[in-house]
Amino acid sequence: MKLKAGLIITAFLLIVALVGLFWTPYSPTAMVSARFTKPCAEHLFGTDNFGRDILSRAMKGLGTTFVIAFTTVLIGAVAGTLVGSVTGYYGGMTDHILMRFNDAVTAFPTFLLALLIVSLVGPGGRYSVILALGLVFIPGFARVMRSEYASLRNRNFVTNARLMGAGDARILFIYLLPNTVRVFLPAFTIGFNNAVLAEAGLSFLGIGVTPPDASLGYMLAEAQGMLAAAPWYALFTGAVIVLLVFGVGLIGEGLQNFMGEVE
Amino acid sequence: MSLLCVGNSEDKTALKAVLKKLLVLPVTMILVSFLTFAAFEAVSGDPARTMLGTEATEEQVQSLRQELGLDRPFAQRYFRWLGGFFSGDLGISYSYRQPVRDLIGSKLLITLLLSLISFTLITVVSLPLGVISYRWKTTVFNQLFMAFPPFFTGILISWVFGIIFRLFTPGAFPDIYTDTGRALVHLFFGSICLAVPRIAMTVRMLRSTVVSEMNKAYVRTAISRGNDRQGVLKRHVLKNSLVSAVSFLGQTLAELVGAGIVVEQVLGIPGLGRFLVTSILHRDYPVIQAIVVILALWVGLAGVLADLINQAIDPRLRIRQGVVSA
Repeated sequence: MKLKAGLIITAFLLIVALVGLFWTPYSPTAMVSARFTKPCAEHLFGTDNFGRDILSRAMKGLGTTFVIAFTTVLIGAVAGTLVGSVTGYYGGMTDHILMRFNDAVTAFPTFLLALLIVSLVGPGGRYSVILALGLVFIPGFARVMRSEYASLRNRNFVTNARLMGAGDARILFIYLLPNTVRVFLPAFTIGFNNAVLAEAGLSFLGIGVTPPDASLGYMLAEAQGMLAAAPWYALFTGAVIVLLVFGVGLIGEGLQNFMGEVE
Repeated sequence: MSLLCVGNSEDKTALKAVLKKLLVLPVTMILVSFLTFAAFEAVSGDPARTMLGTEATEEQVQSLRQELGLDRPFAQRYFRWLGGFFSGDLGISYSYRQPVRDLIGSKLLITLLLSLISFTLITVVSLPLGVISYRWKTTVFNQLFMAFPPFFTGILISWVFGIIFRLFTPGAFPDIYTDTGRALVHLFFGSICLAVPRIAMTVRMLRSTVVSEMNKAYVRTAISRGNDRQGVLKRHVLKNSLVSAVSFLGQTLAELVGAGIVVEQVLGIPGLGRFLVTSILHRDYPVIQAIVVILALWVGLAGVLADLINQAIDPRLRIRQGVVSA
């Protein structure tokens, strides 16, 4: 039920974002109407201080948010899985050292860490945001995947594979990886949500995505400046973020429940 | 070895574990400070030249470098900084040309207040909610509230309470020392933004802990011996769930400083987080460095505090940790 609702919400937003890549009701950058037009039939989300159509801008912004969030989680997931699989499967000294380091990093607030990395790489632009957030998400995935690999490594099917002559790489990624899906998928959805929120936060602070790119967080920062004149700008933009995080969160929780039932 | 330790008195082993934790803290901080120092060293280029702009003469740049101590080798500068940090000297800000300590003072107080108010709010609201929610079937509301990012809540609050009801002025923060009452109201609104998603997370976490605890064998035994569910929940389950709740809240306390950055920005609260952001934009490395180390201390202390409370409420932890630490 939750899974289904989450999938519907997320799929809807994904389609809107995809459509936004090729078509928006108006040009997101052109001044198409009187400034501060209230939401109406022509402009569902109203217009901003330049008379730009907010719906069109939100569609583009949603796309940017999707791309950045997905790429960062992908970086975190791939690198984290590599670290987690090796440390969890082999154990020993490397595992010990890496996990202590991991604990130290994860104790530090994620957002702060991302902020610092952005300040090191040089603020501004989507690539420094992707890099910073991607790096920040590695330890979380590493920890989750490590414990999963560690709990699986002595199972019979692994011993069996080893006896049949499978190499370590084959065991790690062909035999074990598919079995980690139980924790991997929920972790991916949680990571995605954290990425959406962190990117929006960074862009909101003005050190994330910069114009001409517009992410939802950047739009929200813009909207704050005209809160008295055009409250709908902030309301609609924020609502899109909330809907996205809500939808993906439902998928994550639904998946967790579903996997629990399968077991 | 472990036999010897169990033979020790409980308090002694607990004390040892605590001391060990407190000793690790400065080591972590030195590590953090070194890493940030080295990282900024690698990217910062020549701060003296950046500060003076392109039109400055070579002599001007040289004299400023001397003034800031930038002409010394890296290791020497780091140890000077470290020595200064422990004696309360946090260096000189590049952009303000003032001691960082003077710049930070009141901002640290504001950030501490913001975090503590929202932490109190989170604890007071989510603990009872989390316990009664174990009977609720649905967790959809949790997911919904978790989706509210603090900066959006901040905008909503400044629209409703700031612009429509005029209970506070979002952009203008009253002086914390002379106008404390109104400053606290402002901080309270800020702490609501921080608290909303975190209350949802804590309730969700508590709920799942209580639910899994209620399914354990000792609960079944207690109920089959004629105790009622409510009584078992109060007497046994709550105590056992508290440990993970405390750890979770400790983590929350640490994370509040990170989340607070955005809220300070939204509501115009002049705290450390906001200062950190402007310093990042101006590449004011001494300020960034000082704030990072202070926040690391905060994070570390939150962790130690959570451990201490847990050891006080759960005797099993005292023994286990005593054995591990010896």
